[in-house]
Amino acid sequence: MTRHAYILAASLPLLLPGPSAQAHAHLDHATPAVGSTVPAPKSVTLWFSESLEPAFSTIEVRDDKGVAVQAGKATVDPANRAELHVPLKSLAPGTYKVMWRVLSVDTHRTQGDFTFTVGR
Amino acid sequence: MSNRHLFAVLCGTAAAFAAPIAYSHEIVGNRMFPVTLTIDDPGVADEISLPTISAFKTGDTPPVKELDVSGEFSKRITEDFGVSFSPTWTRLYAPGGPVMTGASGFQNLETSFKYRLYKNPEHEFVMSAGLEIEWGGSGAQGVGADRFTTYTPTFYFGKGFGDLPIGWMRAFAVTGQIGYSIPGSRSNTTFDTDPDTGDVTADTEFFPRVLNWGATLQYSMPYLKSAVVDLGLPDFVNRLIPLVEASLQTPVANTMTSGTLTTGTISPGVIYVGDSFQVAVEALIPVNRQSGASVGVIGQLHFFLDDIFPNSLGKPLFSTASATPKR
Repeated sequence: MTRHAYILAASLPLLLPGPSAQAHAHLDHATPAVGSTVPAPKSVTLWFSESLEPAFSTIEVRDDKGVAVQAGKATVDPANRAELHVPLKSLAPGTYKVMWRVLSVDTHRTQGDFTFTVGR
Repeated sequence: MSNRHLFAVLCGTAAAFAAPIAYSHEIVGNRMFPVTLTIDDPGVADEISLPTISAFKTGDTPPVKELDVSGEFSKRITEDFGVSFSPTWTRLYAPGGPVMTGASGFQNLETSFKYRLYKNPEHEFVMSAGLEIEWGGSGAQGVGADRFTTYTPTFYFGKGFGDLPIGWMRAFAVTGQIGYSIPGSRSNTTFDTDPDTGDVTADTEFFPRVLNWGATLQYSMPYLKSAVVDLGLPDFVNRLIPLVEASLQTPVANTMTSGTLTTGTISPGVIYVGDSFQVAVEALIPVNRQSGASVGVIGQLHFFLDDIFPNSLGKPLFSTASATPKR
Protein backbone atom coordinates (compact mmCIF):
# COMPACT_ATOMS: atom_id res chain seq x y z
CA MET A 1 0.00 0.00 0.00
CA THR A 2 2.79 2.36 0.95
CA ARG A 3 4.70 1.58 -2.23
CA HIS A 4 1.54 2.14 -4.27
CA ALA A 5 1.03 5.51 -2.58
CA TYR A 6 4.55 6.58 -3.46
CA ILE A 7 4.21 5.44 -7.06
CA LEU A 8 0.96 7.35 -7.34
CA ALA A 9 2.51 10.49 -5.85
CA ALA A 10 5.57 10.26 -8.07
CA SER A 11 3.41 9.75 -11.16
CA LEU A 12 1.09 12.66 -10.48
CA PRO A 13 2.94 15.23 -12.60
CA LEU A 14 2.82 12.86 -15.56
CA LEU A 15 -0.97 12.65 -15.32
CA LEU A 16 -1.48 16.38 -15.53
CA PRO A 17 -2.74 18.06 -18.69
CA GLY A 18 -0.39 20.30 -20.64
CA PRO A 19 0.19 23.71 -19.14
CA SER A 20 -1.58 26.84 -20.28
CA ALA A 21 0.69 29.88 -20.33
CA GLN A 22 -1.20 31.96 -17.78
CA ALA A 23 -0.41 33.20 -14.32
CA HIS A 24 -1.13 35.88 -11.77
CA ALA A 25 -0.91 39.34 -13.33
CA HIS A 26 2.04 41.10 -11.69
CA LEU A 27 3.02 44.69 -12.41
CA ASP A 28 5.92 44.58 -14.84
CA HIS A 29 6.57 48.32 -15.22
CA ALA A 30 4.78 51.65 -15.22
CA THR A 31 4.80 55.17 -16.64
CA PRO A 32 5.51 57.21 -14.56
CA ALA A 33 8.00 54.64 -13.25
CA VAL A 34 7.54 53.23 -9.76
CA GLY A 35 9.13 55.58 -7.22
CA SER A 36 10.18 58.13 -9.84
CA THR A 37 10.10 61.95 -9.85
CA VAL A 38 8.66 63.33 -13.08
CA PRO A 39 7.06 66.41 -14.67
CA ALA A 40 3.26 66.36 -14.30
CA PRO A 41 2.07 63.34 -16.36
CA LYS A 42 -1.20 63.35 -18.32
CA SER A 43 -1.87 59.69 -17.57
CA VAL A 44 -0.70 56.57 -15.79
CA THR A 45 0.01 53.44 -17.79
CA LEU A 46 0.73 50.05 -16.22
CA TRP A 47 2.10 46.99 -18.01
CA PHE A 48 1.35 43.61 -16.45
CA SER A 49 2.80 40.15 -16.84
CA GLU A 50 -0.53 38.75 -18.08
CA SER A 51 -3.56 39.84 -20.10
CA LEU A 52 -6.34 41.49 -18.12
CA GLU A 53 -10.12 41.34 -17.93
CA PRO A 54 -11.09 44.96 -18.75
CA ALA A 55 -14.32 44.97 -16.71
CA PHE A 56 -12.54 44.04 -13.49
CA SER A 57 -9.26 45.95 -13.78
CA THR A 58 -9.01 49.40 -12.21
CA ILE A 59 -6.52 52.14 -11.33
CA GLU A 60 -7.02 54.81 -8.71
CA VAL A 61 -4.57 57.69 -8.30
CA ARG A 62 -4.72 59.83 -5.17
CA ASP A 63 -2.79 62.86 -3.98
CA ASP A 64 -1.23 63.15 -0.52
CA LYS A 65 -4.60 64.33 0.88
CA GLY A 66 -6.34 61.24 -0.47
CA VAL A 67 -8.19 63.07 -3.25
CA ALA A 68 -8.70 61.05 -6.42
CA VAL A 69 -7.04 62.70 -9.43
CA GLN A 70 -7.87 60.36 -12.30
CA ALA A 71 -9.89 61.98 -15.09
CA GLY A 72 -11.76 58.88 -16.23
CA LYS A 73 -12.02 55.12 -16.01
CA ALA A 74 -9.09 52.81 -16.50
CA THR A 75 -9.08 51.07 -19.88
CA VAL A 76 -7.25 48.04 -21.21
CA ASP A 77 -5.44 48.62 -24.51
CA PRO A 78 -7.25 46.49 -27.13
CA ALA A 79 -3.96 45.93 -28.93
CA ASN A 80 -2.16 44.80 -25.77
CA ARG A 81 -4.46 43.42 -23.11
CA ALA A 82 -1.67 43.47 -20.55
CA GLU A 83 -1.60 47.30 -20.69
CA LEU A 84 -3.88 49.33 -18.42
CA HIS A 85 -4.22 53.08 -18.82
CA VAL A 86 -5.96 55.88 -16.91
CA PRO A 87 -6.06 59.64 -17.77
CA LEU A 88 -5.22 62.17 -15.06
CA LYS A 89 -6.38 65.64 -14.15
CA SER A 90 -3.76 68.38 -14.11
CA LEU A 91 -1.38 67.49 -11.28
CA ALA A 92 0.27 69.93 -8.91
CA PRO A 93 3.72 69.17 -7.48
CA GLY A 94 3.53 66.51 -4.78
CA THR A 95 3.48 62.77 -4.17
CA TYR A 96 0.77 60.60 -5.70
CA LYS A 97 -0.25 57.05 -4.89
CA VAL A 98 -1.29 54.68 -7.66
CA MET A 99 -3.53 51.83 -6.48
CA TRP A 100 -4.25 49.10 -9.01
CA ARG A 101 -6.51 46.10 -8.82
CA VAL A 102 -6.70 43.69 -11.74
CA LEU A 103 -8.16 40.39 -12.81
CA SER A 104 -6.06 38.32 -15.18
CA VAL A 105 -7.79 36.42 -17.97
CA ASP A 106 -7.33 33.20 -16.00
CA THR A 107 -9.38 34.82 -13.18
CA HIS A 108 -6.57 35.43 -10.71
CA ARG A 109 -7.05 38.70 -8.84
CA THR A 110 -4.03 40.75 -7.78
CA GLN A 111 -3.59 44.21 -6.38
CA GLY A 112 -0.82 46.60 -5.47
CA ASP A 113 0.22 50.20 -5.11
CA PHE A 114 3.20 52.50 -5.56
CA THR A 115 3.97 56.20 -5.52
CA PHE A 116 5.49 58.74 -7.88
CA THR A 117 6.35 62.37 -7.31
CA VAL A 118 5.59 65.37 -9.49
CA GLY A 119 8.54 67.74 -9.24
CA ARG A 120 8.37 71.53 -8.99
CA MET B 1 28.84 -2.80 19.25
CA SER B 2 28.83 -4.38 15.80
CA ASN B 3 29.24 -2.22 12.72
CA ARG B 4 25.70 -3.05 11.65
CA HIS B 5 24.33 -2.07 15.03
CA LEU B 6 26.38 1.13 15.04
CA PHE B 7 25.13 2.02 11.60
CA ALA B 8 21.51 1.42 12.56
CA VAL B 9 21.94 3.81 15.48
CA LEU B 10 23.55 6.41 13.22
CA CYS B 11 20.72 6.04 10.74
CA GLY B 12 18.18 6.67 13.43
CA THR B 13 20.01 9.74 14.66
CA ALA B 14 20.50 11.03 11.14
CA ALA B 15 16.81 10.69 10.39
CA ALA B 16 15.98 12.66 13.49
CA PHE B 17 17.82 15.62 12.01
CA ALA B 18 16.64 15.15 8.45
CA ALA B 19 14.87 18.25 7.22
CA PRO B 20 11.43 17.65 5.80
CA ILE B 21 11.04 20.01 3.00
CA ALA B 22 9.12 22.08 0.50
CA TYR B 23 6.12 24.29 0.73
CA SER B 24 3.66 26.84 -0.66
CA HIS B 25 3.63 30.46 -1.84
CA GLU B 26 1.21 33.16 -0.85
CA ILE B 27 0.22 36.52 -2.37
CA VAL B 28 -0.97 39.17 0.12
CA GLY B 29 -1.55 42.58 -1.43
CA ASN B 30 1.71 43.81 -2.93
CA ARG B 31 3.59 40.97 -1.29
CA MET B 32 4.38 37.53 -2.66
CA PHE B 33 5.71 35.25 0.06
CA PRO B 34 7.78 32.70 -1.84
CA VAL B 35 8.07 29.03 -1.02
CA THR B 36 10.80 28.53 1.54
CA LEU B 37 12.90 25.40 1.86
CA THR B 38 13.57 24.55 5.50
CA ILE B 39 10.38 25.90 7.08
CA ASP B 40 6.87 26.17 5.68
CA ASP B 41 5.51 29.50 4.48
CA PRO B 42 2.23 30.87 5.83
CA GLY B 43 0.14 30.33 2.70
CA VAL B 44 -2.36 27.85 1.34
CA ALA B 45 -1.98 27.14 -2.38
CA ASP B 46 -2.05 24.61 -5.21
CA GLU B 47 1.52 23.69 -6.04
CA ILE B 48 4.14 21.04 -6.37
CA SER B 49 7.79 20.89 -5.37
CA LEU B 50 9.64 18.42 -7.54
CA PRO B 51 12.31 17.83 -6.66
CA THR B 52 13.85 19.17 -3.49
CA ILE B 53 17.35 17.82 -3.02
CA SER B 54 19.59 18.27 0.01
CA ALA B 55 23.01 16.91 0.90
CA PHE B 56 24.72 17.30 4.25
CA LYS B 57 26.71 15.52 6.96
CA THR B 58 24.78 14.65 10.08
CA GLY B 59 25.79 15.50 13.63
CA ASP B 60 26.64 11.87 14.45
CA THR B 61 30.14 10.71 15.46
CA PRO B 62 31.43 9.81 12.98
CA PRO B 63 29.17 11.89 10.72
CA VAL B 64 26.97 10.24 8.12
CA LYS B 65 26.65 11.81 4.69
CA GLU B 66 22.96 12.05 3.86
CA LEU B 67 21.22 12.75 0.56
CA ASP B 68 17.49 13.51 0.59
CA VAL B 69 15.28 13.73 -2.50
CA SER B 70 11.73 14.81 -1.79
CA GLY B 71 8.58 16.13 -3.36
CA GLU B 72 5.46 17.81 -2.11
CA PHE B 73 2.02 18.12 -3.65
CA SER B 74 -0.27 20.74 -2.12
CA LYS B 75 -3.97 21.01 -2.96
CA ARG B 76 -6.56 23.52 -1.83
CA ILE B 77 -9.83 21.98 -0.72
CA THR B 78 -11.39 25.41 -0.24
CA GLU B 79 -9.90 28.86 -0.77
CA ASP B 80 -8.45 28.83 2.75
CA PHE B 81 -7.97 25.14 3.53
CA GLY B 82 -5.46 22.82 1.93
CA VAL B 83 -3.77 19.48 2.28
CA SER B 84 -0.31 18.38 1.18
CA PHE B 85 1.58 15.12 0.83
CA SER B 86 5.37 14.89 1.12
CA PRO B 87 7.36 11.74 0.38
CA THR B 88 11.13 11.82 0.96
CA TRP B 89 13.71 9.32 -0.27
CA THR B 90 16.93 9.15 1.76
CA ARG B 91 20.34 7.77 0.96
CA LEU B 92 22.77 7.38 3.86
CA TYR B 93 26.41 6.87 3.00
CA ALA B 94 28.30 4.74 5.49
CA PRO B 95 31.12 6.41 7.39
CA GLY B 96 34.52 5.19 6.30
CA GLY B 97 33.60 4.43 2.74
CA PRO B 98 32.94 1.06 1.16
CA VAL B 99 33.48 -1.16 4.25
CA MET B 100 29.81 -0.71 5.04
CA THR B 101 27.23 -0.35 2.35
CA GLY B 102 25.02 2.41 3.76
CA ALA B 103 21.27 2.43 3.46
CA SER B 104 18.52 3.95 1.39
CA GLY B 105 14.74 4.11 1.39
CA PHE B 106 11.74 6.30 1.94
CA GLN B 107 11.14 8.28 5.08
CA ASN B 108 7.70 8.18 6.61
CA LEU B 109 5.08 9.84 4.41
CA GLU B 110 4.05 13.26 5.71
CA THR B 111 0.64 14.85 5.35
CA SER B 112 -0.19 18.42 6.30
CA PHE B 113 -3.50 20.15 6.76
CA LYS B 114 -3.44 23.94 6.82
CA TYR B 115 -6.10 26.61 7.28
CA ARG B 116 -5.56 30.29 6.56
CA LEU B 117 -6.90 32.13 9.60
CA TYR B 118 -6.39 35.74 8.56
CA LYS B 119 -5.13 37.73 5.60
CA ASN B 120 -4.65 41.51 5.48
CA PRO B 121 -3.49 42.73 2.04
CA GLU B 122 -3.08 46.35 3.17
CA HIS B 123 -0.59 45.42 5.88
CA GLU B 124 0.84 42.39 4.04
CA PHE B 125 0.03 40.10 6.94
CA VAL B 126 -1.16 36.52 6.91
CA MET B 127 -1.40 33.76 9.48
CA SER B 128 -2.41 30.12 9.32
CA ALA B 129 -2.73 27.08 11.54
CA GLY B 130 -2.14 23.50 10.61
CA LEU B 131 -1.54 19.92 11.61
CA GLU B 132 1.41 17.98 10.23
CA ILE B 133 1.29 14.19 10.48
CA GLU B 134 4.22 11.85 9.93
CA TRP B 135 2.73 8.44 9.36
CA GLY B 136 4.62 5.90 11.46
CA GLY B 137 5.67 2.68 9.75
CA SER B 138 5.16 4.03 6.22
CA GLY B 139 8.90 4.45 5.65
CA ALA B 140 12.00 2.28 5.87
CA GLN B 141 13.50 1.65 9.29
CA GLY B 142 16.89 1.31 7.61
CA VAL B 143 16.98 5.07 7.08
CA GLY B 144 15.59 5.77 10.53
CA ALA B 145 11.86 6.13 9.81
CA ASP B 146 9.96 5.86 13.07
CA ARG B 147 7.44 3.08 13.63
CA PHE B 148 5.11 5.46 15.43
CA THR B 149 3.09 8.37 14.06
CA THR B 150 4.00 11.93 15.06
CA TYR B 151 1.51 14.81 15.18
CA THR B 152 2.67 18.42 14.97
CA PRO B 153 0.13 21.22 15.39
CA THR B 154 1.76 24.30 13.90
CA PHE B 155 1.15 28.06 13.65
CA TYR B 156 2.47 30.07 10.69
CA PHE B 157 2.71 33.79 9.99
CA GLY B 158 4.07 36.19 7.38
CA LYS B 159 4.53 39.95 7.52
CA GLY B 160 5.80 42.27 4.81
CA PHE B 161 7.46 45.53 5.81
CA GLY B 162 5.53 47.59 3.27
CA ASP B 163 4.25 49.80 6.10
CA LEU B 164 7.71 51.19 6.81
CA PRO B 165 8.41 54.82 5.87
CA ILE B 166 11.94 54.07 4.64
CA GLY B 167 11.55 53.12 0.99
CA TRP B 168 14.17 50.45 0.37
CA MET B 169 13.41 48.71 3.67
CA ARG B 170 9.85 48.06 2.54
CA ALA B 171 11.10 45.16 0.41
CA PHE B 172 11.92 43.17 3.58
CA ALA B 173 9.55 40.55 4.95
CA VAL B 174 9.60 37.95 7.69
CA THR B 175 7.84 34.62 7.99
CA GLY B 176 7.83 32.20 10.86
CA GLN B 177 6.41 29.02 12.26
CA ILE B 178 6.18 27.30 15.61
CA GLY B 179 5.00 23.74 16.07
CA TYR B 180 4.85 21.16 18.84
CA SER B 181 5.65 17.60 17.80
CA ILE B 182 3.87 14.88 19.76
CA PRO B 183 5.12 11.35 19.09
CA GLY B 184 2.50 8.62 19.18
CA SER B 185 4.79 6.55 21.39
CA ARG B 186 6.56 7.62 24.58
CA SER B 187 9.41 5.11 24.55
CA ASN B 188 10.78 1.88 23.18
CA THR B 189 12.66 -0.76 25.16
CA THR B 190 14.94 -3.31 23.53
CA PHE B 191 16.37 -6.36 25.27
CA ASP B 192 19.76 -7.90 24.56
CA THR B 193 21.99 -10.56 26.03
CA ASP B 194 25.45 -9.65 27.26
CA PRO B 195 27.81 -12.00 25.32
CA ASP B 196 30.28 -12.13 28.23
CA THR B 197 28.00 -12.65 31.21
CA GLY B 198 24.86 -13.98 29.58
CA ASP B 199 22.79 -11.44 31.49
CA VAL B 200 19.76 -9.93 29.82
CA THR B 201 20.05 -6.16 29.45
CA ALA B 202 17.32 -3.61 28.70
CA ASP B 203 17.83 -0.38 26.79
CA THR B 204 15.04 2.20 26.77
CA GLU B 205 14.84 5.13 24.34
CA PHE B 206 12.40 7.93 25.15
CA PHE B 207 10.85 9.84 22.27
CA PRO B 208 10.77 13.52 23.19
CA ARG B 209 8.13 16.10 22.44
CA VAL B 210 9.86 18.70 20.32
CA LEU B 211 9.31 22.39 19.68
CA ASN B 212 9.83 23.00 15.95
CA TRP B 213 10.42 26.67 15.39
CA GLY B 214 11.90 28.78 12.68
CA ALA B 215 11.81 32.01 10.75
CA THR B 216 12.93 33.62 7.51
CA LEU B 217 14.11 37.11 6.64
CA GLN B 218 13.61 37.94 2.96
CA TYR B 219 14.45 40.83 0.67
CA SER B 220 12.17 40.87 -2.36
CA MET B 221 13.58 42.43 -5.51
CA PRO B 222 10.20 41.92 -7.28
CA TYR B 223 8.60 43.96 -4.49
CA LEU B 224 11.28 46.67 -4.73
CA LYS B 225 10.65 47.03 -8.45
CA SER B 226 6.84 46.97 -8.44
CA ALA B 227 6.03 48.82 -5.21
CA VAL B 228 8.99 50.95 -4.10
CA VAL B 229 11.30 52.05 -6.89
CA ASP B 230 12.05 50.71 -10.35
CA LEU B 231 15.82 50.98 -10.60
CA GLY B 232 15.92 49.70 -14.18
CA LEU B 233 17.85 46.59 -13.16
CA PRO B 234 18.02 43.52 -15.44
CA ASP B 235 14.92 41.32 -15.35
CA PHE B 236 16.91 38.44 -13.84
CA VAL B 237 17.92 40.58 -10.85
CA ASN B 238 14.36 41.85 -10.42
CA ARG B 239 13.18 38.27 -9.93
CA LEU B 240 15.54 37.39 -7.07
CA ILE B 241 14.66 37.07 -3.40
CA PRO B 242 17.76 36.70 -1.24
CA LEU B 243 16.87 35.30 2.15
CA VAL B 244 18.07 33.54 5.25
CA GLU B 245 16.10 30.79 6.97
CA ALA B 246 16.43 29.35 10.46
CA SER B 247 14.94 25.95 11.25
CA LEU B 248 15.36 24.75 14.83
CA GLN B 249 14.21 21.86 17.00
CA THR B 250 14.19 21.90 20.80
CA PRO B 251 13.19 18.81 22.80
CA VAL B 252 10.99 20.04 25.64
CA ALA B 253 9.35 17.02 27.24
CA ASN B 254 10.09 13.31 27.76
CA THR B 255 13.76 14.20 27.27
CA MET B 256 15.38 11.57 29.51
CA THR B 257 17.47 10.08 26.71
CA SER B 258 17.38 12.84 24.08
CA GLY B 259 18.53 15.77 26.19
CA THR B 260 17.22 19.27 25.56
CA LEU B 261 19.85 20.66 23.22
CA THR B 262 18.47 22.78 20.39
CA THR B 263 19.57 21.64 16.95
CA GLY B 264 18.91 22.95 13.48
CA THR B 265 20.26 24.95 10.59
CA ILE B 266 20.71 28.52 9.41
CA SER B 267 20.25 28.69 5.66
CA PRO B 268 21.27 31.71 3.59
CA GLY B 269 20.35 31.50 -0.07
CA VAL B 270 18.44 32.96 -2.95
CA ILE B 271 15.16 32.27 -4.75
CA TYR B 272 14.50 33.06 -8.41
CA VAL B 273 10.78 33.63 -9.00
CA GLY B 274 9.39 32.96 -12.48
CA ASP B 275 5.80 33.51 -13.63
CA SER B 276 4.71 29.99 -12.73
CA PHE B 277 7.72 28.44 -11.00
CA GLN B 278 10.60 29.21 -8.70
CA VAL B 279 14.10 27.84 -8.25
CA ALA B 280 15.96 28.10 -4.96
CA VAL B 281 19.31 27.15 -3.52
CA GLU B 282 20.51 27.57 0.05
CA ALA B 283 23.44 26.57 2.24
CA LEU B 284 22.61 24.41 5.28
CA ILE B 285 24.75 25.70 8.14
CA PRO B 286 24.40 23.61 11.32
CA VAL B 287 23.92 25.68 14.48
CA ASN B 288 26.14 23.31 16.47
CA ARG B 289 28.11 20.08 16.09
CA GLN B 290 25.08 18.00 17.07
CA SER B 291 23.20 19.51 14.13
CA GLY B 292 25.75 18.64 11.49
CA ALA B 293 29.41 18.10 10.83
CA SER B 294 29.77 20.54 7.93
CA VAL B 295 27.87 22.92 5.69
CA GLY B 296 25.35 21.23 3.41
CA VAL B 297 23.30 22.42 0.49
CA ILE B 298 19.64 22.31 -0.49
CA GLY B 299 18.00 23.12 -3.81
CA GLN B 300 14.44 23.08 -5.07
CA LEU B 301 12.37 23.39 -8.24
CA HIS B 302 8.80 24.41 -7.50
CA PHE B 303 5.73 24.93 -9.68
CA PHE B 304 2.69 27.14 -8.98
CA LEU B 305 -0.18 24.92 -10.10
CA ASP B 306 -2.72 27.71 -9.68
CA ASP B 307 -0.86 29.58 -12.42
CA ILE B 308 -0.16 26.60 -14.68
CA PHE B 309 -3.59 24.97 -14.46
CA PRO B 310 -5.88 27.81 -13.35
CA ASN B 311 -9.08 26.08 -14.45
CA SER B 312 -8.45 22.54 -13.25
CA LEU B 313 -5.82 21.29 -10.83
CA GLY B 314 -4.86 24.81 -9.76
CA LYS B 315 -8.14 25.87 -8.18
CA PRO B 316 -9.83 24.82 -4.94
CA LEU B 317 -12.01 21.71 -5.08
CA PHE B 318 -14.80 23.69 -3.48
CA SER B 319 -14.69 27.39 -4.29
CA THR B 320 -16.68 29.85 -2.22
CA ALA B 321 -15.77 32.76 -4.53
CA SER B 322 -18.39 34.17 -6.84
CA ALA B 323 -18.07 33.08 -10.45
CA THR B 324 -18.39 36.74 -11.43
CA PRO B 325 -15.99 38.88 -9.41
CA LYS B 326 -17.28 42.09 -7.89
CA ARG B 327 -15.84 45.23 -9.35
